[in-house]
Amino acid sequence: METFLNILVSGILLGGIYSLVSIGLNLIFGVVRIVNFAQGEFVMLAMYATFFLSTLGIGPYYAVFVVAPLMFVFGLAVQRLVLQPLQNEPMMQIFATFGLLILLENAVLALTRGEGLSLAGPYSRVVIDLFGLKASGVRVIVFVAATAIAIALMLFLHRTMAGKAIRAVIQDRQGARLMGINVERTYLLTFALGSALAGVAGALLAPIYTLSPYIGGNFILAAFAVVVLGGLGSVPGAYIGGLAVGLMESFAGYYVDPALKQAIWFIIFVAVLIVRPSGLLGRAGAEEVGLRAEAP
Amino acid sequence: MRTVLERWLFTAFAITLSVPALAQSGPIRIGAINPYSGPMALYGDEVSRGYQLAIDEANAKGGVLGRKIELIRGDAGNPQQGITAAEKLATQDNVDIFVGTYVSAVSNAASDTALRYSKLYWDTNALAADLTERGLPNFVRSGPYARSFADISVNGTKELLAPALGKSVKDLKVWIEHEDSIYGTSIAQRQKALLEKDGAKVVGVGAHNFRAIDLTDSILRAKGAAPDVWINTGYVPDGNLLLRTMRDQGFKPPAVMLVGTGDTPETLDALGADYLNGITVVGYPRPDQTETFGPGAAAYLAAYKKKYDRDPIAPQGMTAYVGMQILLEAVAAAGSTDMEKVRAAAAKMDKPAKSYATGFGVKFDQQFQNERAFPTVVQWQSGKVVTVYPKEAAQPGVKLISLQRQ
Repeated sequence: METFLNILVSGILLGGIYSLVSIGLNLIFGVVRIVNFAQGEFVMLAMYATFFLSTLGIGPYYAVFVVAPLMFVFGLAVQRLVLQPLQNEPMMQIFATFGLLILLENAVLALTRGEGLSLAGPYSRVVIDLFGLKASGVRVIVFVAATAIAIALMLFLHRTMAGKAIRAVIQDRQGARLMGINVERTYLLTFALGSALAGVAGALLAPIYTLSPYIGGNFILAAFAVVVLGGLGSVPGAYIGGLAVGLMESFAGYYVDPALKQAIWFIIFVAVLIVRPSGLLGRAGAEEVGLRAEAP
Repeated sequence: MRTVLERWLFTAFAITLSVPALAQSGPIRIGAINPYSGPMALYGDEVSRGYQLAIDEANAKGGVLGRKIELIRGDAGNPQQGITAAEKLATQDNVDIFVGTYVSAVSNAASDTALRYSKLYWDTNALAADLTERGLPNFVRSGPYARSFADISVNGTKELLAPALGKSVKDLKVWIEHEDSIYGTSIAQRQKALLEKDGAKVVGVGAHNFRAIDLTDSILRAKGAAPDVWINTGYVPDGNLLLRTMRDQGFKPPAVMLVGTGDTPETLDALGADYLNGITVVGYPRPDQTETFGPGAAAYLAAYKKKYDRDPIAPQGMTAYVGMQILLEAVAAAGSTDMEKVRAAAAKMDKPAKSYATGFGVKFDQQFQNERAFPTVVQWQSGKVVTVYPKEAAQPGVKLISLQRQ
């Protein structure tokens, strides 16, 4: 029983990691309609920035307040300078994000020469032990942050004008444009927000892993599955999808075989897609259901 | 007109004839294929530093076959670059011999290319078993490979860990963890077979992906089996994540042994000196071993510090250094750099173990794998790695410290 509960806890905490990485990706996916292949590399970049700040004596839980705004600005620049000029060529946008992935990986590689870096402060050793249930402190923080971000983002999307504009664009971008919403500015804001969330993820995940320029790729495969499973453009979808994938992975890894866990959750993922093509909580936009052609 | 043409042809012919003659009197050119840029550059550089130190040593004594030796680098981090680098070294730099390679896949492709130019490929550092098993007629490996790492991890478990735990091998429960590519899998299979032959109980074999985000499941499975010894073969990121998870989950096996990686500052930074205390690592022989086991190890360390003004980055350099020494001896014995003649001379070499700085001897098997090249076992002690096995390699006064995880 204790083992079962420990796996449950580790699955929930892993789900927190997946949720945190996926929320930003899903926001961009749902609103800007871009599969941002470089999202994992944004996380990687933020991890290295956090590592760099730690060498200056700034711990990751302070660094997050520097790294996230920096990544926001970085996201603004990428959307404005790289993606917006390609707006009418969605295929080219995908290639551009892929190019960005290669560029970021190699730039970091050139700077660090690929040496594995670790940020191991005293906090990374904190373990919460409750009647034999063990949870690593840094992972609990990630989970709490993912939950808080999901709630805050929901409030933002439902209670503010900017958030409502984003939701309008998700549903029907042509209609939104006709209502006077500046779609380009919404894209800009969303992409920047998405990369700021990658910044938060990077800062909070940095104490858990040994950094390598390729670490972004480790997160992103799962994050794509989470996004599709949870539902396109849906914040609670990404959060719940992340938890679902984390739990599936933990239980499959322990009770079946750690080497097969990815195969198992991909099977479940395909099954969900067959039953619910728009994901658990997703609602297809007007373009997807064929009510309207893609906006020019 | 005709005479002019004749004279021109004659001159051209004479030049063609004189080129090999010139090459014979010039330096012996050795092309070193390794990653010098990209993620593995650090180790590629280190391996080539080892070559350079052996070459400096030989040149100081007047070179080999009366010729100086020159090292030319070819940068390759993947198989495709390996082919390109080998072609460039063969055609533009006219190298006589190839050496390498920190990456097995690069060695595989580059040695194939070298064969097309009928050049010897002398490997010092690649680990994959299939490199020698291919039976390529230009290939020789002077250093240890995957199988030697598996063998030493098992010998170390039996002769070092079991006595320290106060158990006989037959009572020993072992968990074998490995990353799930051919590298980790082939080592784990051999470990299991050898341990079971000796009567040890292999309570579980766990495979994991080295890029996994979470390895709690792997650690909980091992914890449930309550092994005396937990052995892991993998890379740096997954090895670090496993140890961190082990600490978080309160899994404290009486002994931990890592194979291949885990003996560098990359692991020290991630886990800290306190936690690593007592963990053993099977790795390349290190310069801190005794002179009786590795004659010349101290001289290597001194020469390295003098030339590069720092401590060696990784132990791979010393294995490369010894590999180059063996190569130059084979060339001297062959009286040529021709691949068949050098291989024939290498086949006749017979040196007992403990002949070189790494503790290696020389005896090549049918597939030109050196049978007397082995890794050693080190232990983390207060943030430093100390050679502890084989016993004669350990400095006097060095003792195995408490193995139990704290």
